[in-house]
Amino acid sequence: MEHVLIVRYSEIHLKGMNRPYFEKALVNRIRDAIPDPDIAVEREQGRIFVNGLSDENAFGYAERLCKVFGIHSVSPAVSVEKDWNAVVSGSKQLLDRYLATLPGNMHTFKVFARRADKRFPYNSEMICRELGHELLEAFPSLQVDVHHPEIMFGVEIRKNRAYLYCQELEAAGGMPVGTNGRAMLLLSGGIDSPVAGYMIAKRGVCLDAVHFYSYPYTSERAREKVIDLARQISEYSGSMTLHLVPFTDIQLSIYDNCPKAETTVIMRRLMMKIADRIARRTGAQALITGESIGQVASQTIESLTVTNDAASLPVFRPLIGFDKDEIVSYAKRIGTFETSIQPFEDCCTIFVPQHPVTKPSLDRILLSERVVDFEPMIEKAIAGTEQMTF
Amino acid sequence: MIYLDNSATTRVTEPVAKIADRYMTELFYNPASNYPPSVQIEKEILSFRSMFSDYGYAPGEVFFTSGGTESNNISVFGCVRKLRGKHRIITSKVEHPSVYNVFRYLQERNPDLDVVFLDVEHSGRADLDQLESCLNEETALVSLMHVNNETGAVNDLNAISALIRKHAPKAVFHSDGVQSFCKFPAERIPCDLYSVSGHKLHAPKGVGILLMKKNTPNEGGLIGGGQENGFRSGTTNVPSILALKEAVRIYRDSSDAFIGQMRRCKLRLYANLISMEDVFLNGPAADGGAPHILNLSFAGVRGEVLLNALAAHEIYVSTGSACSSSQKSENRILSAMRLDKARRESAIRFSLCPYTTEEEIDLASEAIRQEVAKLRKYRRR
Repeated sequence: MEHVLIVRYSEIHLKGMNRPYFEKALVNRIRDAIPDPDIAVEREQGRIFVNGLSDENAFGYAERLCKVFGIHSVSPAVSVEKDWNAVVSGSKQLLDRYLATLPGNMHTFKVFARRADKRFPYNSEMICRELGHELLEAFPSLQVDVHHPEIMFGVEIRKNRAYLYCQELEAAGGMPVGTNGRAMLLLSGGIDSPVAGYMIAKRGVCLDAVHFYSYPYTSERAREKVIDLARQISEYSGSMTLHLVPFTDIQLSIYDNCPKAETTVIMRRLMMKIADRIARRTGAQALITGESIGQVASQTIESLTVTNDAASLPVFRPLIGFDKDEIVSYAKRIGTFETSIQPFEDCCTIFVPQHPVTKPSLDRILLSERVVDFEPMIEKAIAGTEQMTF
Repeated sequence: MIYLDNSATTRVTEPVAKIADRYMTELFYNPASNYPPSVQIEKEILSFRSMFSDYGYAPGEVFFTSGGTESNNISVFGCVRKLRGKHRIITSKVEHPSVYNVFRYLQERNPDLDVVFLDVEHSGRADLDQLESCLNEETALVSLMHVNNETGAVNDLNAISALIRKHAPKAVFHSDGVQSFCKFPAERIPCDLYSVSGHKLHAPKGVGILLMKKNTPNEGGLIGGGQENGFRSGTTNVPSILALKEAVRIYRDSSDAFIGQMRRCKLRLYANLISMEDVFLNGPAADGGAPHILNLSFAGVRGEVLLNALAAHEIYVSTGSACSSSQKSENRILSAMRLDKARRESAIRFSLCPYTTEEEIDLASEAIRQEVAKLRKYRRR
């Protein structure tokens, strides 16, 4: 009996001629997620098998793969020889161990079989019936329930081996990261932007992130929090570079020179400009923000139009139609919520005008912006940017 | 680096660290064991217990704990567990969370207790008129801190004790002495229970003392092997306790010089900064109060922002008690003193130690002057 992970694709199966390209990318992402020289990752007829596992690491690796985009589900399984007696005894062993981990005394089950290799003497229906019978006899605590079983006992008869499993762990879905280009996430430290990054990465896009900090108006802890968030997103998105841009001088200059009601919108335009420039220099093809229509004054359609104008790359806003509570539930699910709500960012309220414009016009804002030559400050901020790679 | 956050914690001094090291690596024995080195260590600890006679506590009235929080918790919980029937327990609105939150907990969980949170005067001292009117025959416990950790306000323990004796003779009197122990010349402490923390006195973290008068009704803390006379079990933390002994010895031997130095530095810092425009003192007059704590508001500059700006100069201060500074909550202590929001948000606590120098005070003052001037240009509008 050998430990193995059965990996099922999500959307890749819809692909036609270019399917091998996506499959190869997924194999690479799996290798990135499990950098263990002992494992072997193989493609076989619409499945990926991860071999070379031990009893200790199999489940932990399965959980890691649940965060890899492109995977629909993962089953920690065992493989046995394609021999009926081996299938029966392997099934008993596996189920015995699995039952010991479950609470309660009585459990319902169903056997589900797939015979990819038609040379195997039993067809799927026979496997289900016969194996179900054997398991019922062996485990008095089991009952059959074909409609809503607690345990779906899976059997797959493939080319070389037979595979047995009793769990199918739901994975993140989406497309393998790296199959759809590269984009730059504007990461603020709030609840929304990590979710926005997650959603775009899920479509197979490689992420980098940019964060603007205003020391001493924002604290060391606020910076640490953003670094934590970037690290959390990278658990899904794979390797990511975080660009930390010093923004205090620009912020003070806006404060000194621009109409107070417009400071927020001008600040966001300058953030866009800087992100756009860093993105172009690092090869990213788009920007990502966590904006959602009407959430705050700077996210009205008018404000979004004005900020959008500052970017030359396309700006993706995957949360545009989401309510706050929908975003929160996503953030909880991907695990960034607890970090996002740490209360360290609140020192810079002096830069938030009491009455910001909610319907800025682009012409008017461009006029206000022209009072200062921001160009040297933008280049200075970019030159002072620190990079961290996860 | 200029460290002005000694109420959060202090640096362990060389001789103190050496003692801790010696009792970890060489004389690591359990003092409860029965061979000569253990007996010797037990004697060392006993001689520490006898160092509290000036404060009015006999060796058998000295109990070692894991620190101020544990001493405070035992004082309150241990007393309440002895009670049957309806009682009143009294504390103030400005206590450290390890007392305040215990009283809040009891208020929520124990319907037999009438829990009173006293107001404080503008200077941060407990309102003794209100205390007098609240004390009655049913009062079982009064817990009022000696020195407030954020403002340096000092409660008059003798006056409080006299009121308790007069109106509630059965009540137990506890005082949290974490910020006061060794910060005043030694004199008799008029309390049944008094909490001390090691790491505020240049000893390591994780060790403290509870001074408790004989016959004080208290159930004690941990149950186990019966150490500390059965009052607080757990293998004796020898390295930390003997390090604390050394720290207390050093403090006591140089008491006048140490207290004088802290007071001098505090007054100098105050004089340097109060001459700036729109700087306000929170708490007692600078020449009163504890010798080592000064709380000032710099109008128009948020406390955290100034804290961050000073950190860039490697000058470390605090905006409030470090134990609660990660919470976004309002500053409870300054609110209880009825300071307005602008004043609370711009407050900085400076806390000194005997090793703080006048030169450091002047350097810090200059940096504060510069940063405040710079930051004041930008206010919310």
